[in-house]
Amino acid sequence: MTAMSQAPADLKHLYYQMLRIRRAEEAIARRYAEQQMRCPTHLCIGEEAIAIGVCAHLTTQDKVFSNHRGHGHYLAKGGDLPRLLAELYGFAEGCCGGRGGSMHLTDLAAGFIASTPIVGGTVPLAAGYAWAEQMKKSVTAQGGASAAGGRTPGATNVVVIFFGDGCFEEGVMHETMNFAVLKKLPLLFICENNQYSVMTPLAERQPKRDIYKIAAAHGLTAVSGDGNRVDDVYELAQAAVANARNGLGPQFLELHTHRWPEHCGPNEDDDLGYRNPGELAEWKLRCPLLQTRQVLLAERLSNDAELAHMETKLAEEIEQAFARALQGSRPTIERMGQHLYA
Amino acid sequence: MRDVRVMSYGEAIREALDDALAKHPEMLLIGEGVPDPKTIFGTTQGLREKYGAERVLDMPLAENGMTGICIGAALAGMRPVLVHQRIDFALLSVDQLVNNAAKWHYMFDGQQQVPLVIRVIIGRGWGQGPQHSQSLQAMFAQVPGLKVVMPTTVGDAYHLMLEAIADNNPVLFIEHRWLHHVHGEVDKHRPAAELSGAALLRQGADITLAAFSHMSIEALKAATVLDKHGVSVEVVDMRHLNELDVDRVASSLAKTGGKLLIADCAPEMASIGHQLLSKLVLAHRNSLQQAPRLIAYPNHPVPTSHFVANDYYPGAEQIASAVLEILDKSELTESVIRDLQSDLPKDQPDRSFVGPF
Ligand SMILES: Cc1ncc(C[n+]2csc(CCOP(=O)(O)OP(=O)(O)O)c2C)c(N)n1
Ligand SMILES: [Mg+2]
Repeated sequence: MTAMSQAPADLKHLYYQMLRIRRAEEAIARRYAEQQMRCPTHLCIGEEAIAIGVCAHLTTQDKVFSNHRGHGHYLAKGGDLPRLLAELYGFAEGCCGGRGGSMHLTDLAAGFIASTPIVGGTVPLAAGYAWAEQMKKSVTAQGGASAAGGRTPGATNVVVIFFGDGCFEEGVMHETMNFAVLKKLPLLFICENNQYSVMTPLAERQPKRDIYKIAAAHGLTAVSGDGNRVDDVYELAQAAVANARNGLGPQFLELHTHRWPEHCGPNEDDDLGYRNPGELAEWKLRCPLLQTRQVLLAERLSNDAELAHMETKLAEEIEQAFARALQGSRPTIERMGQHLYA
Repeated sequence: MRDVRVMSYGEAIREALDDALAKHPEMLLIGEGVPDPKTIFGTTQGLREKYGAERVLDMPLAENGMTGICIGAALAGMRPVLVHQRIDFALLSVDQLVNNAAKWHYMFDGQQQVPLVIRVIIGRGWGQGPQHSQSLQAMFAQVPGLKVVMPTTVGDAYHLMLEAIADNNPVLFIEHRWLHHVHGEVDKHRPAAELSGAALLRQGADITLAAFSHMSIEALKAATVLDKHGVSVEVVDMRHLNELDVDRVASSLAKTGGKLLIADCAPEMASIGHQLLSKLVLAHRNSLQQAPRLIAYPNHPVPTSHFVANDYYPGAEQIASAVLEILDKSELTESVIRDLQSDLPKDQPDRSFVGPF
């Protein structure tokens, strides 16, 4: 267990990190209307606490895999903001050179391996990565340092896979959980249960029973929690990361939350009527930022001036990130023909 | 009796599904988003209200299992139509489609049948990218036992959908997303004979253009402009992929002096145009009088960046240039291209069509 994962939650820091995702997503939504970010974009507004509460326990050696709704995971893991934005604009300086757009992100230096949009596509990849980390560790223990890349014996890197309640229905999810338990992989399954797959509610897709209990039946250590309370997520993830690091096998967190914007795109879509009446409004009252802010103020961990300063600082960072991104260059079709084979 | 109405391709699909649900009480319409507010780009609108939630339904995010479940239901006498909003998602159901659906009738000596339709949509534009705009039609068309149709015209969309649903075999029904907004005529009483084989979309005398799906629309655009410059192009739409109608192409070539251009919407290495050429040469060895050409996409995944969409996707301009090269009339190219040019980026089919989609 690293020292970091034993620390009590630094609520102010967590708040700042969540706010950073929120403001970045809002800025993307605002500028999307200019029709220069021409790619399908799934925003995570309303769900920020999960990415932040989990990634707070990870080092850059730990790895993250994610899905179509990946901006928050990428940023929480330390992914470069200007390169994310450049990717949305389709510039050569984007994190995928403009090949992927919003749904395909990567930042290897930060340990964010990849997000892709075929639902479930990255789930087994995360397990394979964790399997390799486990094998490399045993290679190190046997003295074969080269394959392990000089890692200290005893330390296990963990791998995290973020996915949604819809993804839980894919067969590959269950095939992967089975193997992960069989091999006791240092892997965290983080299920962001926002009750919808696109516009289809959970009740049209799954019988009424708890997702995490199915994971438990597979043999994972599985719990559920409030995905809109960053302190709760932080605590659950703390234990889960520690377990995975210490060889106790794969961990599963089902975290309840709600997406505010439309499934894909910059707008809200409550007018379409697929959510229950009042549902969105109710979840907005349970906003992860609002809840954390209330605690920060009530417990005098922060004050209005400091919170206002955070806003200014972030507004500057995001403004600069857009400015950097917009200096990008157009990729050519010749360049896009490269890297078909390694 | 004629009953002709003008509608969009998407509306024609909806109308066919509506008529089929009325005609076949055993038909099911199932897929992710079928009854949601966006109703698969409008193509399933109102059908749940009309035929009930038992027959028109959403499904779990489980393409592989649900394909098998639909095959099982088909074996037991239902007539499922399973929809995937992207052909890319159908890759998850390939095992069930190829190992089971395509072979079931054959493997069990014709005793059982799988009346199943898989509706898939090829995405394009607004940065759909590597995993949401693949052109996999040739791969599916190479599976014996699986029928693959890729209608281009609005009338064909209506009739071939009805035909696919009535068929007692598994049919992969491929729609190109950019066809959904194209308008055309649907004649509900069109004779069945007009639905088999390739479709002659335009008569011409100078060259045969065999095209697939959305590329047939680009071919027609090119043909219209070329006509004004005195070049007469015959356009043949190759709508049935598992049974390429080379006889129709050969009879066109007999008229156009054996000059052939094939235009496909797939990477060159994945183009079923190669198979068309090979079959044509094998079956009609003297049909070609001049070296044929194939227009297709580059041999790599579709990159997301809109900056390269114009270079990735060939269209009417490339078709027209190739026609003029084959006919040795390149002196016309400049003025033809000028007439064809559009300032609309190739990641958008028309101005009303803005992302994300
Ligand atoms: C295999 C596959 N099927 C369908 C889709 C279309 N699709 C994209 S996101 C999505 C919903 C996923 O829901 P969930 O996993 O709960 O994630 P959320 O969007 O709610 O965050 C669907 C159906 C896809 N991308 N891949
Ligand atoms: Mg969901």
